[in-house]
This record gives sequence, C-alpha cells and structure tokens, in this order.
Amino acid sequence: MTVKDVKMNRRWGMAIDLDKCTGCGQCSLACNQENNMPIFEDDSDIPKRVSFMELMKVTNDRDAKFPDVKTAFIPKMCQMCEGNDPKNPNPPCVSVCPVVATDVGDDGVVSQIWSRCIGCRYCQTACPYEARVFNWWKPVYEGTFKKSLNPEVSVASRGTIVKCTFCSHIWKRERDRAVAEGKLNINDVTYKTACQSACPNNAIIFGDLNDPESEVAKLSKSKRALRLANAIDLESPEKQKEMRKVKHFSNPKVYYLTSQKWLKDMLNFRKN
Amino acid sequence: MKKSLLLFFIPLVVILPFSFIISERGCSDIMQKDAEKKLVFKHKFHLKNGIVKNCEDCHGYYSDGRFKGIPTVKTCTDCHDRKGPLKSDDPKVALQKPEINKFRDTDKPWGSFAEQPDLVYFSHKVVMTARFSDGRKKVRCGSCHGDKANSENAKMIKGKMLMGQCMDCHTTLHISNKCAVCHD
Repeated sequence: MTVKDVKMNRRWGMAIDLDKCTGCGQCSLACNQENNMPIFEDDSDIPKRVSFMELMKVTNDRDAKFPDVKTAFIPKMCQMCEGNDPKNPNPPCVSVCPVVATDVGDDGVVSQIWSRCIGCRYCQTACPYEARVFNWWKPVYEGTFKKSLNPEVSVASRGTIVKCTFCSHIWKRERDRAVAEGKLNINDVTYKTACQSACPNNAIIFGDLNDPESEVAKLSKSKRALRLANAIDLESPEKQKEMRKVKHFSNPKVYYLTSQKWLKDMLNFRKN
Repeated sequence: MKKSLLLFFIPLVVILPFSFIISERGCSDIMQKDAEKKLVFKHKFHLKNGIVKNCEDCHGYYSDGRFKGIPTVKTCTDCHDRKGPLKSDDPKVALQKPEINKFRDTDKPWGSFAEQPDLVYFSHKVVMTARFSDGRKKVRCGSCHGDKANSENAKMIKGKMLMGQCMDCHTTLHISNKCAVCHD
C-alpha cells in the first residue's frame, strides 16, 4: 500500500445530549487536566480564565418563579466550524490568522499551534462562539503540580491564543499504538476525547461524522439535534442553498441534542 | 582622532567579543551541543563485529509504539556482566567494564543531541514503518541522525533538526503537511 492510496476519510464531530447533562463539570475538569491549563488565584474571573471548555448555565427567564423556571447546562468548547463546503473547510478563524497558526486538518479538526501565534487575537474576535482564550499571564503551577502535567501537551506561553483541538494528542498516541499493532491504515485509528471519557452520563459522544454507522452521525440527523446559533439549520434545503451563495455560515461540527423547546429557541437566538 | 569617535569605538571593541561568546554559548545550549556523554560508547565497534544487528536492539520501542530513545545501563550489563571476566583471549566474550559499575541499571549516562522541543510530537514508530510499494523503507535512522553507525566517539554528527527538514520529506513523500500532524 503506498501512502498516496491512503486518504484520511474521518471527519471528527461531537454530539452533546443536553437532556442527559447534569452540569457536574467533570468534562471541564478532565479537559483542564488533560490540556495542562494554568491555575489562577481567582478562576471565577471569566475573561481572564484560561479554559477550553466552559460549562454555561442557562435559564428560561431570569425573573421566573418556581414552577416555571427551567435550567440547562451547556458545555461549550470549540465548535470546529467547517464553513459552507465540508470538502473545502473554511472556518472564520482560519482566514483571519496572519501567520497560519491555526489550520484545518485532514480530519476536519481546527488546530491551533501556539508557537506560531503572535497574539494579535484576530481569531478570538472572528470566532462566533467565543471558544478561543488568550493567555494573559504566564501559566503558573504551584508546588509539585508541575510534575503532574501531561507530557504530550505543551504548555502555551504568555501572549498566545489556545483552544480545544478535540484532544488531537490522543489521536496521535492512538495512531502510534495502531502502527505498533500493525494497522497501517490511518482510518483504523479511533479515539476518545478526555471530556467524553470523563462524562458519567455518556452525554458527550465523539466520533466520525462521515461514517453513517457511527453513533454521532445517527445522532446528528435526529430531530433533537441542533447547532449552536447557526440560523441556516432552521430553513428548508432550497432556501439553504440560496443562503449559502449569499453568506458564509460557520456550520459547526458539534451537535447539541435537546427535546426542550425553550432551549432550542434560545440556542438559535429566537424569542420565546 | 576625534574624542567622540573614540567614545563610540572603544566600548564596541570591548563589548563585541563578550557578546559573541554569550550568543555562541546560548546557541550551543539550545542546540544541545554540550549533551553530556558520561560513558564512552563506540557505535562502530559494536555494529562492525556483528554484536548488535541493528539500531532497534538498543534504541527500541515499547509495546504501545513509544520510542525508548537512549537506553539505560541495563542494556549494557545484559552483555557486559558486572561480575564477568576482565580479560579473555576469545574476542567474542563480552568483558567486564569497571567504568559501568559507577552507574546503576536504571541510569542513563548519556545526553541526547536530537531532542525535539515540547510542542513537537514525533513518532519514530510511524516514520520507521512507512514503506514504498516495493518494500523499501522511506526513512532510515541515518537520514536524520547522520552516520552514527560509523562513529567512533560521542561527537555530534548532525545538528538539530529544523522544521523545514520534516516538511521537505512530507512534501516529497506525499504525506499530509498539516500542522496538527506533528504539533499539539
């Protein structure tokens, strides 16, 4: 088998079941630990905090009284936008980067290389989901905490943008393992992200969207599925084609599943 | 000569050599030029006499495909027994080496010339298993590390690998050149 024949057919995506999510925060914790996130004195200071995955708490109405009040938790990370054409992905953050620090991989994952980043924060502005975070300070680890860092993820320096990359270092590790076992086709490599492994309710499901047999591909076509603030999803297919000609849509690869109408409306910025 | 010119040139002459020394030290520090080699090892001797067949005998892999890198003293003592004979007429017998006894079995008395920075994920296993359609290996150890098999001493043969070297190979061999293939 020559390398020319082997092409990456994967298109990694994620489905998050908001009906199952209890807001325990295990995913966020696992993500921070896996990706060597720095610890600051006050982590409730959201604009200064460095965290790939944010657990947002939303309610239907701020002034609602007991029987009517409804709450949901939304784990929000990089949504891995692919633009209008999945075969030629063009996320909003990639086109604005002046130094090619962020790029779309063959598997559709938007990568971010901090050593190339110059800290202009254009991508942070361009991101429709505020999924990118800026390292305002040098990461500090107290005491012996430095010994427990993940050796596979490099610690980003001050003045660079970091973001979720669907734990691409785990994919590299699994690729090594597959080669050691004798599987030479790159499409045999499968892996689990840290947040998926940590979720006690199996609310987070990660997999290949191109494979119609996979759980993610099935869930993404279900009626409960919707994408965060992607207005094009609500229209009919003919209207979608017209809209794509006119405007550039982000089309994220992270699907949220919910059966509650108020939450669906809220995620699409519609009024109740 | 004018006084102002002297004021300019004298500090320049004094400071320049120092700045050169500092920058050279800094460069060799980054390039791992001064990697410590506490124990003498002759690659050529071991490979020439057929004692070691290939590089993987000492620089092998773990079962999950990770590269072991520089071996421990245990690899030496497997042949050079700590209580073995000091002299022998048979050239095939591995003699006892007193200088090994300074180290424990788990020690690694050698520093590395070819250590990649933290943000690079380089997999020896993946690169070394890549083959052309006719079965030839795409990369050999020597392509990146130089002719280490013929080296008599612990000197650096080839400097640090730069990213361009990786990119050139990936381009010519039609392997993906996306950032996330190597970086994280």
